Amino acid sequence: MVDSALSRPGQRERYDSKITQINWVFVICLIALASIGMLLQYSAGGMSWQPWAYKQLIVFCTCLVLTLCLALVDLRVWLWICYPFYTISLLLLVAVEVIGDVRMGAQRWLEIGSFSFQPSEFMKLAIVLGLARFYHEASAKDANLSWKLIIPALMIAVPTGLVMHQPDLGTALLIAFTGGAVMILAGLNWKIIAAAAAGAVVMVPIAFQYILHDYQRNRILTFLNPEADPSGTGYHILQSKIAMGSGGLLGKGLGLGSQSQLNFLPEKHTDFIMAGVCEELGFAGGFAVFALAGALIFMALRMASVSHSHFGRLAAAGTTATFALYVLINGAMVMGLAPVVGIPMALVSYGGSVMLTVMAGFGLILGVRVHRYQELPRQQSIFARFE
Amino acid sequence: MAEPSIVFTDVNERQGAFHRRIFILGGVVAFGLFALTGRLAHLQVLQGGKYQKLSAANQYNFRLIPPPRGDILDRNGKVIAGNRPSFRVMIESNEVKNIDDTLNEVSYILPQAVTNRRRILRDLNQNQRFVPTIIASDLNWEDFSRVSLYANDIPGVVADMDQLRVYHYGGAFSHVVGYVSKINARDLEREKARPDYTEEEDKLLRHPSFRIGKTGIERAYDAQLRGTAGGRKVEVDAEGQVVAEDPQGMIPPKPGADITLTLDADIQMRALEVFGEDSGSAVMMNVNTGEVLCMTSTPAFDPNLFVSGIPTDAYRLLADYERLPLLDKAVGSTYAPGSTFKMTTALALLDAGINPAERVHCSGAFYFGRRFGCWKPGGHGSVDMVGAIKHSCDVYFYAMCNRAGIDRIARAGRKLGLEHIYPDLGIDGQKKGLLPDQEYVRKYRKKDPVWHPGETLSAAIGQGMTLVSPIQLATYTARIANGKKAVEPYLVNKIGGDLEDHMSKFKTIEIPEAHLAIIRDGMNRVSNDADGTAYRQSQLDLGPNIHMAGKTGTAQVRGYDKTGIRKANEWKYKDHGLFVCYAPVDQPKYALAVVVQHGVAGGRFAAPKAREIMRLALIKDPEIRKRITGPVNAAIDTGKLNADASASASAEVDVPVDPNARSD
Repeated sequence: MVDSALSRPGQRERYDSKITQINWVFVICLIALASIGMLLQYSAGGMSWQPWAYKQLIVFCTCLVLTLCLALVDLRVWLWICYPFYTISLLLLVAVEVIGDVRMGAQRWLEIGSFSFQPSEFMKLAIVLGLARFYHEASAKDANLSWKLIIPALMIAVPTGLVMHQPDLGTALLIAFTGGAVMILAGLNWKIIAAAAAGAVVMVPIAFQYILHDYQRNRILTFLNPEADPSGTGYHILQSKIAMGSGGLLGKGLGLGSQSQLNFLPEKHTDFIMAGVCEELGFAGGFAVFALAGALIFMALRMASVSHSHFGRLAAAGTTATFALYVLINGAMVMGLAPVVGIPMALVSYGGSVMLTVMAGFGLILGVRVHRYQELPRQQSIFARFE
Repeated sequence: MAEPSIVFTDVNERQGAFHRRIFILGGVVAFGLFALTGRLAHLQVLQGGKYQKLSAANQYNFRLIPPPRGDILDRNGKVIAGNRPSFRVMIESNEVKNIDDTLNEVSYILPQAVTNRRRILRDLNQNQRFVPTIIASDLNWEDFSRVSLYANDIPGVVADMDQLRVYHYGGAFSHVVGYVSKINARDLEREKARPDYTEEEDKLLRHPSFRIGKTGIERAYDAQLRGTAGGRKVEVDAEGQVVAEDPQGMIPPKPGADITLTLDADIQMRALEVFGEDSGSAVMMNVNTGEVLCMTSTPAFDPNLFVSGIPTDAYRLLADYERLPLLDKAVGSTYAPGSTFKMTTALALLDAGINPAERVHCSGAFYFGRRFGCWKPGGHGSVDMVGAIKHSCDVYFYAMCNRAGIDRIARAGRKLGLEHIYPDLGIDGQKKGLLPDQEYVRKYRKKDPVWHPGETLSAAIGQGMTLVSPIQLATYTARIANGKKAVEPYLVNKIGGDLEDHMSKFKTIEIPEAHLAIIRDGMNRVSNDADGTAYRQSQLDLGPNIHMAGKTGTAQVRGYDKTGIRKANEWKYKDHGLFVCYAPVDQPKYALAVVVQHGVAGGRFAAPKAREIMRLALIKDPEIRKRITGPVNAAIDTGKLNADASASASAEVDVPVDPNARSD
């Protein structure tokens, strides 16, 4: 038995045995999903590897290697880098606020040399790690109901607020939801969940009126009634629905989708790539994407739940929640079920930052599975001395 | 393993909570994915058809190709109304993101766009989204080539060639042929009310180059002239740029049918020439076929002005001019027929069994309750019926008319085509005119519903309530000259090469030929007896074989003030001059009615015009030209004519007919 062999002392720490513990079915699903994305980028580029498909392939291959490497990283290392990573990400967000680049009306980008990146992307991963680290130390009672919950609440609220201010509603929501998911998974008291939900319901109209920017308000109004202004703000949703609907069961064929090929579909290779998938590959293509994404999510949740360490469980489940939110929000957005918030379809949409975040997250999930028997010691937290 | 389990309680509690909640997370995700897949199936499988249509509407664009309008030709094939090319620039509002920016760009290459900016913006607002709006039309070649070079760089701006209606004869046919103009809301409503109205037609009607017939033949035969629009199927991208053209999707437009009229452009032009500045109308008909050879209404206007929209000030000038250039006087204006009506009265007298040889003494006036004066104050002496027509003696008709009665007079008039709208003429705006009779006053004159015998006297000489239009006068003359068939006037000979049949619909005149022969004798004497009222004015000078017969008329215009003094020096109070005639006398072929509004007297002012028009018609007719140039008595087939006349006379009523009556 492999397990008995692995039970030999030191055997599990060997890289060759770690590789056997990587969930290869999961990796194949990843490749399949990313391939659908690259196929569509090939089509969107006018049946050409340029300008998107080729770059995406390079990025994906690099990220895949990174994922597999990260899967072999000891969980103690993950545990060790959690707070520093979170702190650096937060500082970068502050830096964006102060010296960030303004692109397309939003201050999201930070430039270091010729390399520019969005620190909010790192925060998606950092929030999971930071919270998992916190809950790893916290007791079940603390996680359920305690004054100490102010700490994770602030850990979520501060970056959310910063990202919201950029403004990047989509990422802010993603960070908030991911953080919330981790808190719930850690055992947050249902009364607090209910109170937060009620508070959110009350906050929505207030936020709509006072916090959101005009264009964000318009997007939501458009979502509620897309036909009101078909050539203006409702254009995206309407054209996206036309693209998807006209695809039918089996699609128009790769490179033959009139909506995407003739530029009726905006953002056809990024946020609205699902509309292209559904137009050119039909319901079959769209279903395949959701099926693969679903398979990835459930495999990931399974991998999270077999971990022996609370940190591993929460980190893997939190990252899975991030991916699930990408899929669900983007899917709802392109089908006209949610307002247009700039959230791409992870793995399928063109774009390096998201790919990097998500693939790093998958590396963590795979790593949790690889190191599922690892017991992580609970260090005395800074709070311990107050107890 | 060896460690006490108590240490793990907290850990296990955390683990338990996580495991319970991860099921909830999984459930939420599963629900979300299920909902998305369901929505996908709904969009793609259930509503797929709807979105496929929307997608095709995005991808393919039908560019309408308006059909060229059919030409309108005269009887000899001369083009009266045709089409000419016009270069123009249009803006397609649904493909323009920002109208102001686009117009600014256009104004760099086309300065007109600046001056017309307000009009363009107004049109853009009025037009529907898919309807292009014209920026400028009728460009010269230099402007057009510059625009077509740069227009493709400005999305939504199209330069192309258009067909514009052109009327080669200017105002000569402005009333009868009419004009086309831009469609207005009322036209659109009327078209939409048609049961066979299609969406394709709607697009054509809203096309900026489409013109609809507004008056005359253009309106009456608009459906035939219009044709069917074609289409160009093009593939466009999101910016509206044409990506590809689908040659299979090209539907060529079906041009409108050409319409050949019965009108003769030369005669029409001659009629206009002789009218000069005078206001009035001339209508010439073929007495056998009913073809209308000329139909003028003067003064006229240039219909070309209306094609692209007439400026308001120019329109006001036309509308306010007292000689009413916009009115079609040939059909839409009625006049008291005056003495030209005396043939009707005479026929009524014959119908009442009065012997045409019975003589009346004219002393210059007739007393019937009051004094009724003859036009010749000195009187005509003793006149019979033919003499009364020849001299246009009023007293004869005053004395005789009540023996026939007003109803008989009105009936005779109706048999000859008066108080009647000719359906085959086709054109709108025909006025029915009026032949008063007892029933009419009973029905419509509520104040005084009884016909007074004194009124018959006025009616008998074509005054009083009697009203006729020039086309009715021409038809009336044609029927007298024809003698057999009740000809009706028509204007259209051929539509798209197919001959139109009008003649088979003609009924027989219910008046004995013998009676008509007497009338014709009277008319002949008017023109050809040296003492006839229009002898001098009726000499055609076409040799001894060809003569015309006519009848003058002067219709009094209500121009007497209370003291009975006529304000004759003012144009609009002068009498109307009328003249009806037909020629040749022996074998009538052409009938002509001329009305000169406020033309003082028929003999002096209308008859010379009629002579000139008739002369040209006769000279143009090849058969008659042969007779003019031929030997003196060769073509006169007196025997045949007389045989016809006596046969019908003996068959109908016993009226003495002088077979030699019209041999002078």
